[in-house]
Amino acid sequence: MPTAHTTDWGFASELEDVGGAVAIVGIGDADYTRASGRTTHEIAAQATERALADAGLRPSDIDGLMYVPFSGDQFTARDFHAHFGTSHDLWKSERGGGMVWAGSAPHDAALAIRSGRATCVLNTFAVAWATQRSQMVGGPGQVHAEDAFKRNLEVPFGWFPQPVYFATIARRHMHEFGTTAEQLGAIAVACRRHAGLTPGAVMRDRPLSLADYLASPPIADPFRKEDCCLISDGGAAYIMTSLERARDLRQPVVAVLGVGVGNSRTGAYWSQQRAFTSTPQVFAAPGAFAMAGLAPSDVDVLACYDPFTIVSLMQIEDMGFCPKGAGGPFVAGERLHFDTGTLPYNTHGGMLSHAYVLGIAHVVEIVRQLRHQAGAQVRDAEIGVYGGYTGPQASTLVLARR
Amino acid sequence: MDADFPLPDVAWPPARPFWEGAARGALRIPRCDACARFVWYPDTPCRWCGGTRLTWRDVSGRGRLFSWSVVRHAWIPQVADRLPFVTGLVALEEDPAVRLVTYVVDCVPEDLRCDLPVRVVFRPLGYPGVERTVIAPMFTPADT
Repeated sequence: MPTAHTTDWGFASELEDVGGAVAIVGIGDADYTRASGRTTHEIAAQATERALADAGLRPSDIDGLMYVPFSGDQFTARDFHAHFGTSHDLWKSERGGGMVWAGSAPHDAALAIRSGRATCVLNTFAVAWATQRSQMVGGPGQVHAEDAFKRNLEVPFGWFPQPVYFATIARRHMHEFGTTAEQLGAIAVACRRHAGLTPGAVMRDRPLSLADYLASPPIADPFRKEDCCLISDGGAAYIMTSLERARDLRQPVVAVLGVGVGNSRTGAYWSQQRAFTSTPQVFAAPGAFAMAGLAPSDVDVLACYDPFTIVSLMQIEDMGFCPKGAGGPFVAGERLHFDTGTLPYNTHGGMLSHAYVLGIAHVVEIVRQLRHQAGAQVRDAEIGVYGGYTGPQASTLVLARR
Repeated sequence: MDADFPLPDVAWPPARPFWEGAARGALRIPRCDACARFVWYPDTPCRWCGGTRLTWRDVSGRGRLFSWSVVRHAWIPQVADRLPFVTGLVALEEDPAVRLVTYVVDCVPEDLRCDLPVRVVFRPLGYPGVERTVIAPMFTPADT
């Protein structure tokens, strides 16, 4: 009874060709911490100030703003104006933020810039889940517990929250393809090594060897805690403008070459997804690479939304970096390391070891890599890719140094 | 979070026949009137054909363990006194596309494997701090 690896379980979103239309010209990290008592507005404002400084732009230069309304406390136009004391018109989009939208926001920003609705678009995302967890509110599980089908047909049977979902997916991947704990561990080890070289990474001073990983007790078989992302306070911001304008700004130009979005027909009900051990990257990546005129083999550095080791492994397969099912042997050893590997991966440490800010720091890291300004710098990096994921959707963003 | 968390609301209309069936020892799953396929979760329109009417049917209670996890950490405090427990997905014999989330009980976790034949058992489900219990379908290896 193999899982159906057919293509009828999802589909690609239809996107306009925005290859080469925009560049990312400013990046900013907020401080990445454990519980800090900060609000998401404070975090997003700090990231925005740093992104503006990085780009050499003023708050009044920003005329477009993207965020995601999902947690109800993101950096809206009102928050932007209140923080910076501005009042000018802003093009606004709620199709920004982190996760899948950290990868797809450049598509919508490019359309806004192309049509003259905006010239300079800011995308931010911030979380304070570490602070909120200590107050027993919010957090990544809450949205799932509030879904009536999950609340009544999954949660009562202990299948909750996300570590349990993805442990179950990992077990099935092991059954179908022979994936091993050592192979999942290789992902965690590479990410931790990269965090050790990245200023601001939460796990910077906490080295992890494969032996350490294997000695760690399981918390939800086959997962150890090292397979699971951190819970963090933090956020990041990036600024987009036209390629022409980018050439007049201070940073090396990092252009958006391709965007793709894929969708699962079963949404966030992982239990019912036909291709149980796949992600909608199957549908997202081909369009993004086609728009960019590139192939996975052209990619110098990759960052994927990585709530769990298995989600990294599945996306690496589903984006075409290796055949489906071959991800385990592919990631083993040092393949993902920034210096000795052939596919440098999550070179800031990812959500496992850098911070759990839901992917926006991944995009910032890819830009930093392509500018040759990263901590764990990949030599001569020219092409970088972000893989965004939410479960119901995935996105692929192809960036290039120009 | 509602007061009875994490027990189900057995009166919630979309799944009420599921819990009513369990209370009398029957595993019930809805089928689409238009295409005759089982539909899970119990929601319309039918995910296969878009049909808008479902009829609940008794099924055999046989299936295969699609995948599972042995949970050893209490992400929610209500499960702390159950640890470790086995939770997972069972693919139904009548239609393996239906995967029931369930507890796997009366098993040796080390002996579990994907696609192991399992059968339904009905057990009271309760959680600390919640007065009522619910009869719930759980699964056990078929040869026990």
